[in-house]
Amino acid sequence: MKELRGAKLWITIGLVALSCLPALVVENNYLLQVCFRIALFAALGLAWNLVGGYAGQLSLGHVAFFGLGAYGLAILASHSVPVPIAVLIASLLATLVAALIGKIVFRLRGPYFTLATIACGEVLRLTATNLNITGGAIGLTVPTVFTGPMFWKLYYLSAVALAAGCFLVNFWTANSRFGYYLMAIREDEDTASAVGVDTANYKLRSLLLSAFLTAMAGALYGSAFQYIVPDNILTIDISVQMAIIAMLGGAGTLLGPIVGAILLLGASETFKTQFQESHLLIYGVLIVLVVLFLPEGIVGGIEQLLRSRRKAAKPPAPTPNQSPAISAVEKGN
Amino acid sequence: MQGKISLILISAVAVMVTVGCQKGAGNTVKVGAITSVTGSQAAFGEAHKNGYAIALDEINNKGGVLGKKLELDIYDDQSKPDQAVQGVSKLVDQDRVPVLLGAYSSENTKAIIPAVTQRQIPLIIPTATADNVMDSKSPWVFRICAGANDYARATIAFLKANGAPKKIAIVYENTNFGQANRKSMEAAAKEAGMDIVAIESYEAKSPDYKPVLQRVKQANPDVVYLCSYLLDASTLMRQSQEVDFNPKYYTSAGTGFAAAEFPTAKGAGKNAEYTFSVSQWLPAVQWPGSKEFDDAYFKRFNSHPAYHAIQAYAALHAAADAMNRAGSLDSAKIRDAIKSLNLPSTPFGPVQFDAGGQNQHPVLITQVQGGQYHIVFPQDAADAKPIIPAPKWNERK
Amino acid sequence: MVHFLQACMNGLLTGALYALIGMGLALIFGVMRIVNFAHGSFLMVGMYVSYLLFERLKINPYYGFIAAGIFLFGFGYLVYKLLIQPIRDRSDFMQILMTTGIALILVDTAQLTFGADYHQTNIDLVNRAVHFGPFTLNAASLLSFGIATVFIVGLREFVVRSRTGQALRAIAQNRDVAPLMGINVTRIQGFSFALGIAFAGIAGGLLLPALYLFPSVGEDYTLKAFVIVVLGGMGSIEGAAMGGLVLGVAESLTSTYIGNQWALAIDFVLFLLMLSLKPSGIFGRQRA
Repeated sequence: MKELRGAKLWITIGLVALSCLPALVVENNYLLQVCFRIALFAALGLAWNLVGGYAGQLSLGHVAFFGLGAYGLAILASHSVPVPIAVLIASLLATLVAALIGKIVFRLRGPYFTLATIACGEVLRLTATNLNITGGAIGLTVPTVFTGPMFWKLYYLSAVALAAGCFLVNFWTANSRFGYYLMAIREDEDTASAVGVDTANYKLRSLLLSAFLTAMAGALYGSAFQYIVPDNILTIDISVQMAIIAMLGGAGTLLGPIVGAILLLGASETFKTQFQESHLLIYGVLIVLVVLFLPEGIVGGIEQLLRSRRKAAKPPAPTPNQSPAISAVEKGN
Repeated sequence: MQGKISLILISAVAVMVTVGCQKGAGNTVKVGAITSVTGSQAAFGEAHKNGYAIALDEINNKGGVLGKKLELDIYDDQSKPDQAVQGVSKLVDQDRVPVLLGAYSSENTKAIIPAVTQRQIPLIIPTATADNVMDSKSPWVFRICAGANDYARATIAFLKANGAPKKIAIVYENTNFGQANRKSMEAAAKEAGMDIVAIESYEAKSPDYKPVLQRVKQANPDVVYLCSYLLDASTLMRQSQEVDFNPKYYTSAGTGFAAAEFPTAKGAGKNAEYTFSVSQWLPAVQWPGSKEFDDAYFKRFNSHPAYHAIQAYAALHAAADAMNRAGSLDSAKIRDAIKSLNLPSTPFGPVQFDAGGQNQHPVLITQVQGGQYHIVFPQDAADAKPIIPAPKWNERK
Repeated sequence: MVHFLQACMNGLLTGALYALIGMGLALIFGVMRIVNFAHGSFLMVGMYVSYLLFERLKINPYYGFIAAGIFLFGFGYLVYKLLIQPIRDRSDFMQILMTTGIALILVDTAQLTFGADYHQTNIDLVNRAVHFGPFTLNAASLLSFGIATVFIVGLREFVVRSRTGQALRAIAQNRDVAPLMGINVTRIQGFSFALGIAFAGIAGGLLLPALYLFPSVGEDYTLKAFVIVVLGGMGSIEGAAMGGLVLGVAESLTSTYIGNQWALAIDFVLFLLMLSLKPSGIFGRQRA
């Protein structure tokens, strides 16, 4: 088991190094921006994966944290807080808000939970549109973290670094007791609770982690494009995109969100120039197809395929007939 | 499996790199334009495209730019500011255009200003009216249209010369356009010593403004200043009749209240009568070529142009003129040529940019009389006298 | 006082249409436990159908809505058979995702076909108002209210009295036992979904004269529909009707006393309050 983990780690490090390649090779700023977007959404997908993938809570309100990161940075910086510190404080504030939101929404299950998260995102958007401090619908300028001719290269590398960080958090989660408890909650919350897992606590923890990372991504995004308006940075579309990226690639897997981001955003950028107006349509069709035929997502589907091949190769061992939730909890203990 | 994924990654990068290394075209000159082809502002983006199209044909019929055919490289910002910024990259870094036009909305335009300044590319703004757009005072930015502050000041000047009412209420749509115009009018009214009795905002998407109008009615203003797009303008007038709101003057910040459809059945119909609006242009205005522009537009697109279209048209003409006078595709030279630009009689009036890059475009005040727009202010451009006060709803036919 | 009552009355007029939308979703979500995030998009389709009939064939939306309803019944059934039924027993997650995908397809198709431009139908009735005493009510809204009420009562009677309605309620109470009672669950579910979508279409047709029409007009209504279902209580058709009226009045009062820009926010505030304090809704019995 351990060497497998080691091998995975090395391959991952290799992939990260590879992802830095565009920063050296690509000179075209436009392409760098596209790469930046892909890397950033990979980070977002991975951040969402903690709550939506491992804990199985379908949040469609994550844009709230994204926006809080961006707006936090803009507002703090306008009060002379140095930019890197502002990014940190904004992300921490977003985490605080996540704690409040979590208290409310985690009491709910299934679609009610999802609806509540949507409501939170929308309330934030409406608030930002109507308050003076957020500039209302007119928006705010966001200061940049980097300047100079290497602007987009540095931003791209930052996005890759953030994605790598999110990946590590996912990796750690997937292999820790925390992660197994989350998966137990995902499989069957009632049973997990009956077996002694403090479900509210763990769900909240996953949300706090996720929110922090999402907010950092939001701050980075806002400062890269330097101008934010509520309809752009607090729109439910971003929440949906995060969820789709993770699900398309494979929610609850490590590589799923990354694959999802590359595919979805790559396709979107290509389609934008070719089929300018139809990219939402293509998104929709993709979702429908994935749900119908590939519900585990691409990576999840491949993993399942490999698993069934392995099962076919060796004779099945007698497995106890117990709930997957209990198995997960046992694995963690 | 990890290997397969690395392969996908590498090929994706390879594809993007090859796509990025495009060859430039040979025998044409390109001007870049960022506008909202899709998204919530798509209707105005279309006005831009149409205006550009007419200008493009005119320019090419007269020999093009620097002896070559002029082409327009349009980028769709999807009505989003971050996409507009990306557009600057695509047009300037990749397609290497020497001059940019755009964007449509104020927030998208504001977003691209740092990007064009950093790349030292001149930008001509056709339609963004929010005043914070010109805040950066970048030497590369030029605006051809009048701004929200000009709207407010022109309206105040008109009011002062026509009855000098004291109490004003501001009703605005809760969008960038509405909020920006509210700010401008609030400042201008205060400066003029008027009494602001009510300020109300509304959501354009939920068309029940009766509570808003009721509250404004209770404040009993002489003047109401409305900042709306076409549909909410129409609904506001209809619901004003329903709640029987009768200020002496219905004034507005243009856009919806200045749209070609507004006085027709597609807009507010009879309810549009007597409303005043600021306007940047009308087909009937006395600038040479404006009627011809209207005709050409109608012939080609089967609808009458709003001023957004002619602003785009004027912007492209200005860019072409500057490039021809600069005699080169060097961005700095083009920028200098724009600075020294002087076109005293275009269909959009005189075009000349002041030290701050702003074209001092005159703002007209129009009134809907007999279902048609008539210019009522300033005096020298007027073709009709203003009807004041607006007759009460139950007195109208 | 006059203003308060006027605001309440305006709220009731809008609320009746909300009730229609909510009842449609209550059939789908409450009875069938299908999380339909595309409900508002179907409403939008209904609006476009009525709009086309108005523009091309000059059919007044107050007749056109019937066609919209019938079209959406068929369309809803088709969507159910092809896309929803296969994932019937999958998790809520999947249903939300599927219906979100359907919504995206519907919205973008509308945009490609009709453009992002806002449209409006200008029928004369919209410009007339009915006055009684110090109150004024828009004639078109009044007519919509009347028609909506007929449908609300009709649906309620159908669900309570008819055999199909009883079958629906049986499935809602216990889906596993229902087949033992001789109920063809698959057929009833398909019918129920189609009926719910048809109601969204009818609501759309009736809303058309009062609203602007653009491809993403339905998005807000999906959320409103869920808020209404939650307000009214899960599985309760009458609850959804009440919820719709309550929401309409709440929005109108917020608009009057706090400000129009917060009227949309009140939907969410009510939603979150209800979920936190009484998750079973005003009329509900089942737990959230």
